[in-house]
Amino acid sequence: MTHENYKELLAAKALSALDAGEARALDTHLESCVDCQAEVIKSEDAAALLAFAAGPLEPPAYVRERILVSIRAEGAQKSASGRVTDADSQREGNVLAFERQPRNVWASLGSFGAIAAALVLVALMIGLVLLWQKNQVLQNELARVNEGMNQVQIELARQRAMGELLTSPDAHMAKLTGTNVAPGAHAMLAYDRTGHAMLMAKGLPSAPEGMAYQLWYIKDNKKMPGKVFTPDASGNGTLEDQIPAGAREAAVFAITLEPKAGVQVPTGSIYLVSSS
Amino acid sequence: MSLGVQLESAEGSDVELLHAVARGDEAALARLYDGYRVILFGLLVRILNSREEAEDILQDVFIQVWRRAKDFDETRGRPFTWLVTLARSRAIDRLRQLGARQRLATGAAQEQTEAVSDALTDTIRVAERETVRQALAELPEEQRNTLVLAYFDGLTQSEIAAKLNAPLGTIKTRMRSGMIKLRALLGSQLENFG
Repeated sequence: MTHENYKELLAAKALSALDAGEARALDTHLESCVDCQAEVIKSEDAAALLAFAAGPLEPPAYVRERILVSIRAEGAQKSASGRVTDADSQREGNVLAFERQPRNVWASLGSFGAIAAALVLVALMIGLVLLWQKNQVLQNELARVNEGMNQVQIELARQRAMGELLTSPDAHMAKLTGTNVAPGAHAMLAYDRTGHAMLMAKGLPSAPEGMAYQLWYIKDNKKMPGKVFTPDASGNGTLEDQIPAGAREAAVFAITLEPKAGVQVPTGSIYLVSSS
Repeated sequence: MSLGVQLESAEGSDVELLHAVARGDEAALARLYDGYRVILFGLLVRILNSREEAEDILQDVFIQVWRRAKDFDETRGRPFTWLVTLARSRAIDRLRQLGARQRLATGAAQEQTEAVSDALTDTIRVAERETVRQALAELPEEQRNTLVLAYFDGLTQSEIAAKLNAPLGTIKTRMRSGMIKLRALLGSQLENFG
């Protein structure tokens, strides 16, 4: 490529419009051609003036402040890294502050608004947590009340059933007394001709962990298992059961301490027993 | 005082400011920013078609000025050219990163809506702007459009040829002829910058 060929590229060079290959070739030529260097400077000056063809626009004031912050941060970083030279030290005395631009009131309001919004959000979140905690406490209290009501209703139902059973015309009653392992205990077993039976026991010792009291129906030395029950802290216990057909007449009733799941043959001590 | 004398005086003072910036003079950078922010921001918005992007680039440009002022050599160009070239180069790079060239190219020859504060109407820059606009208006339309597509949209000669569906040689001729004529029309101002 001749000097004249390169000269034809200078205008495009000034506009950064050369393709990569031509740009590299021209740059190499410019390193050694003073004439082209002078020409490209003039073309670049002319091209730069085209910036005036764009409409002038005022940038926001915060751009100036950002620049100030950035260059000061660079200076602080340089000082912190211990790379401050003598020349740098001399510069510090020459540093003047940027002229302050009028503060953007709306931007400040925006900042305060953001802070206020954040505070309101935090307050709302705290309020929600407190409400949630209070709700949990109330829910637990309600659950306890409901549980108590259920127990009362169950007890009432049992007493009603016991009352009905005792007032039925064919009701039978059997009294159980405590043995030497539970001398203070006693119980009453009521049942009708259908075998529907209800037991009310008092004064029983607390059943050990994993153990419960089991009712037995005994006739002709045959021991028929009934249901198991666990007395409350006062030693009171109730039980509703169905007496096997063969044990309703002239039977003996006994209560033993057995594994909680119940057993088919008695293994533990007799705590209560009826007279034969 | 004539426009040329005013410009020459401004350029001389800008050289001093750049030397001061090179010495770490923060106030000198502030004065350069105050003198060029409007023209550079207008240029950046025109190229990027986004005020937010233009704000970022304007900030980046003056941080680069702070770091690279010591590289400025007044024997190889004017401060104005150095600043505008730096800003335009950064904007074109960003434009290419954004991949928005095709979108923006459609509006290449459109005039940017003017939004300038009243305070600027009495500045020297308004007179310069009118001179440049008048010079552009005197160029043949094909030459003007070629210069505008290159300058404001960052298109290369090959890309302009493809966009206008014209032979590459024709585009090269239009660009070269357009720049020669522009230099002639702006000659008096360029001579003042010597």
